[in-house]
Amino acid sequence: MTRPAIDSDRLARALRPIVGDDRISAKETDLTTYSRDMWPRLLISIREGTPLPHRAHLVVWPETVGEVAEIVRVARSQGVPIIPYGGGSGVCGGTVPVKGGIALDLKRMSAVAKIDRDDLICDVQAGANGEHFERELATRGYTFGHFPSSIYVSTVGGWVATRAAGQMSSKYGKVEDRIAGVTMVTGRGDIIDTDGLARSHRGPSWTQLLVGSEGTLGVITSARLRVSPAPELRVLRGYSFPDLIGGIEALRRIMQRGLRPAVLRLYDEFDTLMNALSGGGDRAPADIRHHHAPSPPAGAGALPRVPTQSADVEERSGLLGQIVGQLVPKDRRRGLTQSLRRELVAATLSRPRLFNNVAGPVASRGLRRGCRMIVGLEGSRVRTETEARLTFGELERAGGVDLGEEPGRRWLEHRYSVSYKMSPAFRAGAFVDTMEVASTWERLVDLYRSVRAAIAKHALVMAHLSHAYPEGCSIYFTFAGYADNQKHAEKLYDELWRSGMEAATRAGGTISHHHGVGLLKSLHMREEHRESMAILEALKASMDPDDIMNPGKLGLSAGGLS
Amino acid sequence: MTARVARAPNLGEELEAIVGHGHATDRPAHLAEVGIRAAASEPATWLVRPGSGAEIAEIVRLANRRHIPVSPVGAAARPPAALGAAEAGILVDLRRMSHVLHLDETSLVVHVQAGLSAHALEHILAPRGLSLGDFPPAILASTVGGMLSVRTPGKSSPRHGFIEEAVLGISAVLGDGRSIHTRVAPRRATGPDLARALCGSEGTLGFITSAVLRIHRRPEARFLSAHHLPDFEAALSAVHLAMREDAAPAALRVYDERQARAGLGDGAVRPGGAVLLAATAGPTDLAACDRDLIASSASALGGTPIAESFAETWWRQRTGREDSPSAALPSLQVSARPSRQAAVHRALRAAAAEAGIEVCVYASRFDPYGAVLFVTLIDPSTGEALGAQAEDAARGAIERAAEQAGAALLGAVPPALTPYFEDMRRRLDPAGIMNPRALASGSE
Repeated sequence: MTRPAIDSDRLARALRPIVGDDRISAKETDLTTYSRDMWPRLLISIREGTPLPHRAHLVVWPETVGEVAEIVRVARSQGVPIIPYGGGSGVCGGTVPVKGGIALDLKRMSAVAKIDRDDLICDVQAGANGEHFERELATRGYTFGHFPSSIYVSTVGGWVATRAAGQMSSKYGKVEDRIAGVTMVTGRGDIIDTDGLARSHRGPSWTQLLVGSEGTLGVITSARLRVSPAPELRVLRGYSFPDLIGGIEALRRIMQRGLRPAVLRLYDEFDTLMNALSGGGDRAPADIRHHHAPSPPAGAGALPRVPTQSADVEERSGLLGQIVGQLVPKDRRRGLTQSLRRELVAATLSRPRLFNNVAGPVASRGLRRGCRMIVGLEGSRVRTETEARLTFGELERAGGVDLGEEPGRRWLEHRYSVSYKMSPAFRAGAFVDTMEVASTWERLVDLYRSVRAAIAKHALVMAHLSHAYPEGCSIYFTFAGYADNQKHAEKLYDELWRSGMEAATRAGGTISHHHGVGLLKSLHMREEHRESMAILEALKASMDPDDIMNPGKLGLSAGGLS
Repeated sequence: MTARVARAPNLGEELEAIVGHGHATDRPAHLAEVGIRAAASEPATWLVRPGSGAEIAEIVRLANRRHIPVSPVGAAARPPAALGAAEAGILVDLRRMSHVLHLDETSLVVHVQAGLSAHALEHILAPRGLSLGDFPPAILASTVGGMLSVRTPGKSSPRHGFIEEAVLGISAVLGDGRSIHTRVAPRRATGPDLARALCGSEGTLGFITSAVLRIHRRPEARFLSAHHLPDFEAALSAVHLAMREDAAPAALRVYDERQARAGLGDGAVRPGGAVLLAATAGPTDLAACDRDLIASSASALGGTPIAESFAETWWRQRTGREDSPSAALPSLQVSARPSRQAAVHRALRAAAAEAGIEVCVYASRFDPYGAVLFVTLIDPSTGEALGAQAEDAARGAIERAAEQAGAALLGAVPPALTPYFEDMRRRLDPAGIMNPRALASGSE
């Protein structure tokens, strides 16, 4: 474990006048909690009981932007790193304190200001929890339209810092598409506001230069976000396509025609098969159903309470649960001991090439499952009805078969369950992770094949396409791997990511669509941005001349786990 | 950090060696073509027309070695103006770099050199049923590089957003001569959007040499409509209501009574009234839906439809197919977010009344964050625009009133962020040679 020479006592003495005794902690449990996020590589360590490689020196909970500025000035004067911390739900190690320092938890800064009816802009503090923010907006008749699977445990500041995307981004956009300005305490300790609401200023857009900075330039303390009136109508459908290429073509046609469904999710053959095997199979085509059968009120099911997890659901859910489910009869699953479960998982995941080579062809040719698509539209009643009619027509012209409303409703009800499926996999000795890349349509199929092939050598892999744009789309790979001990698992994990990132770059894609960089992709930033890193380095030097803000991230300075 | 402009022996020869014979000149007639009136005395000003990004990189490296300012120039839209000492040096005219490098019709993406005019690009795209989008035709006179380098609120459309949001990737030469090419992606989460550092930087951080832009299919249908509203503020409210209902029009304009009479004729407006003009576009059903949403919003605010011919007149003027009777430049332009637009309008009128003049106002360039109010100061005794001297005398008080009501004057550089920008500039352009006078704090 690395513990750079930082005098915690001296630091705490300087911070107490700012935040008092109650909002500083050096407790072991706090330091451990705040020294990681949900990066799966660290979860392997935790499962094995290995100490985390880096640890913060103090956790501090500011309550005002003024306090944040004072804390940054103290840290700067003592040369101590600051790692802004939201919900800790990131999956790339973005909050790992590689040089120790202050974990700055912003959750006490969570106010949601008044929304002007005409401006449709909401000023919200960075520590606001995603679920609370969206529920607060709902009570006032609005939505931000940002529904990441982490919404129950992530914060607005985390979304802005990582350029996050929600499940309804095809209509509402990513966070960077919905932001008018931010307030940031820079690494110099200044408080700055970017962009007036009417964007009258000359010069580069500072908002777009700070969004996605992952805490490396300063602490984002609030954001002015564009909200929409709560939808009056939501329409959901499932469609089936003979293959992935046909489904991709349908996505492209919809977006390029100027239509903006909120939800567009196309699952590859393997993912479609897994969904069918886990009981979510598509029902008979809904030829006789009317396209405009009454839909549920838009508010219903938009944001269910935190999903509860029964043992049975946990057992069945997720990639590994589905594999176990197929290999073991239902009445015997409960009786599986942990060791037997591990052996079963090991037997499956130790042969990823075999399973990957078999699963796709079986899914596409043997079982003729094709590819499933979930489509959802929402908004004002009149426009949504019009857009739905045009969208469904486009899907059918592209060869899609209407499966009716049920697949869409089921997706909506269970769309947050996925984040709660990782624990069983890790308990079974495996690791599960996701890789989200993106490219223009011209390169998308090549990107899919290249990255899938790179991952498939190391882990069982399936994918879906979501977050579509007129010019391209994101691909979201989910994979599960296994090795017999921690060292081998971490080696396998690193090799898999290196292969996947290189394949994405070679195929002309970007290495991250919405999870951010963190530590995980920091070493790949040079290949991503090449000579353009000069701009990021100049920005960093300008905003944080002493390199105290979340060091070791975004490829800006040496970071890493070892 | 301002570069020192020294005598530069053999500079012309060195520049010609880079860009080729006939593409470097210091002749006043050539300089006048790009709007520059060169001083007869030293330092000399050279105009170069590079043919590639590599040539620009060499020019910038040469300028670094010689410590000579290097600034971009665009098409001459103004009478030639004299250069300040800090601007003299090398002027780079990118118009030889006017090729479409790649047109990806699958992704609706075009890679185009910075010197191509946006208007010429539209001509290339049109036969293929493609377009840059519903941007104000006035901005298409710029080169692509110029259009992206200078950021203003008017370069937007309610349907397609801001022009810089169409940038998927950019190539540029930085102040030290390094060439960069940002990776093309529909969206990404790999740190800040680095291309956006160059959009709006006015050639200070680097020269944009080419851009990868999002393009659109030409709309299947376009509908024009016109509505009479009881007053200007009701017309603005109708726009806000329609936007809340998800309408995404291609263009909108709101005229006050005087502006409506000037632009559309006396039949368009009743005393005290205002006119809302709208264009909607896209798939036929959706364009019709947006048109209807605007109509119902106007109706809810007491509006009534008026002859479509008024909207057609507006559209012809907007697209340059008919001269606008009010073609004179407005006296001032302010931007205001939706909730402040009515207050700003009232403040403008009140300040004008206090100064003993009148105002003529129209709102245009609507985007999700606001709109621009174009204001002409009127002499009540003649009903005509104030003369230049009287306009200069009155403008300050009117602008202050607008600002106090929540408007923002166009073109200011945010002072709080200037130290950060200047720091970036020094790091990317250590010799201080890149368009030295642009984007100084508070400049307009």
